[in-house]
Amino acid sequence: MNPPGWLVDRLPEWARSIRFRYTLLYSAVLFGLAAVVVAAIYLVLLMALRNQPVSAGRGLWCRYGECIRFLSLSEFERLVNSQILTKLRNYSFGALGVLFVASLGVGWVVAGRVLRPIGRITSVAREIQATDLSRRIELPGPDDELKQLADTFDAMLARLDAAFAAQRQFTADASHELRNPLAIIRTNVDVALADPHADPDDLRHTITVVKRASDRMARLVDDLLALARRQEPTLEFEPFDLGVAVTEASDDFVVPAAARNIVLDRAIAPGVVVTGDRDVLKRAVANLLDNAVRLAPAGSRVRLATGSEGDRAWIAVADEGPGIAPEDQPHVFDRFWRADKARSRADGGTGLGLAIVRQIVESHGGQVRLQSKVGLGSSFVIWLPVTAARVGGAVGPAGSLAAAGSPGSSAEGFSRPPGAPSPAPAPAPTPAERARTRPSFGPPPK
Amino acid sequence: MRVLVVEDEADLADAIARGLRREGYAVDVAYDGDEAVDKASVNDYDVVCLDLNLPRLDGIEVVRRIRADDVGQPTRVLMLTARDSTRDRITGLDEGADDYLVKPFDFEELKARVRALLRRDAGRSGAVLRVDDIELDSSRHDARRNGHQLPLTPKEFALLRYFMSRPGQVLSQEDLLEHVWDENADPFTNTVRVTVMTLRRKLADAGDGQPIETVVGRGYRLREQP
Repeated sequence: MNPPGWLVDRLPEWARSIRFRYTLLYSAVLFGLAAVVVAAIYLVLLMALRNQPVSAGRGLWCRYGECIRFLSLSEFERLVNSQILTKLRNYSFGALGVLFVASLGVGWVVAGRVLRPIGRITSVAREIQATDLSRRIELPGPDDELKQLADTFDAMLARLDAAFAAQRQFTADASHELRNPLAIIRTNVDVALADPHADPDDLRHTITVVKRASDRMARLVDDLLALARRQEPTLEFEPFDLGVAVTEASDDFVVPAAARNIVLDRAIAPGVVVTGDRDVLKRAVANLLDNAVRLAPAGSRVRLATGSEGDRAWIAVADEGPGIAPEDQPHVFDRFWRADKARSRADGGTGLGLAIVRQIVESHGGQVRLQSKVGLGSSFVIWLPVTAARVGGAVGPAGSLAAAGSPGSSAEGFSRPPGAPSPAPAPAPTPAERARTRPSFGPPPK
Repeated sequence: MRVLVVEDEADLADAIARGLRREGYAVDVAYDGDEAVDKASVNDYDVVCLDLNLPRLDGIEVVRRIRADDVGQPTRVLMLTARDSTRDRITGLDEGADDYLVKPFDFEELKARVRALLRRDAGRSGAVLRVDDIELDSSRHDARRNGHQLPLTPKEFALLRYFMSRPGQVLSQEDLLEHVWDENADPFTNTVRVTVMTLRRKLADAGDGQPIETVVGRGYRLREQP
């Protein structure tokens, strides 16, 4: 049913349609069947009736010198049969011709009816531009193959719509976040420039404010680029020692933590080798530590631990900060989400740190989980697939966080609130309730 | 003229306040929505510069509450926001904002828009106010009587501007304190009386007669020649 390409290209547009081909097929099948039936009837009759065209009889009857040829009765019979068969043949050809034309017409109409929903799907799909993905085909009628096709398109459009909306939201949020520090810079500079009597202290203050705002913009641009780059397949995977990388990442936080009188406890398990982009994973750990060191109250303890369990490695960061309310927990990994907008912005947060963590971890086939209780603190655990088996026994994140604490201090009620799932294998969540919606220390589903 | 700046970015709020104070406005600052509604319910502001995206109570809700409290002369609301979509503007204006400025903005434009909002109530169309022989150009910060420039301090300038936007009206000391001084002014000092006195002296030096008269027991009035 597929004609060669050169032929298709030469056909006029209407002759290239499925409707045309469908009509031809329908007509050919109907005509062929009819022709076979008619031919069969004709042949059967031809064999049943003796058929011999006779122009004149063979018998000769003479009287008074004149002779007339006459037909015998059987000859006469054959003559009649011959004429009937000829007529039958002619009528049959005529009828077949009419049938051929009629079958083309009926085929055209029927094909049109069958294909009408496809026309509708096409016209709606054509009307839907990238900017207006809100339209749907919404094909009426019974739940048949074409309706399923249209519904599939609708579902795809809904997904695209949601993706575009999320992208638009992200762009709007990003521009909003960039405009605020820009406004600070511009207004402060405008006000300082407009004052002819500004003294050095005023100018110094303005410069300090501008520096603060531009630092914030620089951090934001860094984070935005980090998010954008992670979306490209630019990760360089190679096996590396997780403990060494995490120690390196946390070294940068020893001084800032000490400055805020925060104790940074580290319990790094040696010899855990994972495959991934080393620098990128260090960034994820640094983001978690940055949040913890920035938001935890002065004098509290931030604990960092790594280890492995089965074929998965984990990195846990726990703080004794304000904690995250249960209704906020599903949002902490969203871009630009902040628990307390004013405070964390003043503290230098961009609202992107945890979104970057999630993106990095998921691009490594891992998951990040949060467990938090208001007033007690928050624990983030990154789970990564491990390549080489670790030497020695497995220790879960909760146990190591406890070990990271000072001797005698209990991690109970902190890293594992009463009633929370145990660190040992938790029931695998369905894909819908991914790690971010499920604060649990359990390993991710395989 | 009294202005409330509502903005959660302290560095921005303080700069706006500093710039507007230099223009002679009495400026208060609120750093979140709750504080803005509190201050607006206590003080009678002429203009509120309001950030749309605020912690606690968002800008739209603040406008609604300010509008619900409006008695007498309405408070003019200038929305400042980093969101520039048309829909955001429409929402802001529909909820009762009088004007809209997208961050980052030129501070000169902010000043011009504040002036324009203040003119709406005065029923004038230009930046220059004129009552008899007194002329005040708020965009150039210039006040003259009989063509002679008046050497006014920012507070005296603001006071004269308030008188000139309400010529012929009797304005009490409380009115003046409310609209020309900010919340840091001490209502128990005679700062209003002293500033009115110095303004009157400077006006008298530049022309004939005293345009600001005392209405005994009620306050002051800028005389308007019939």
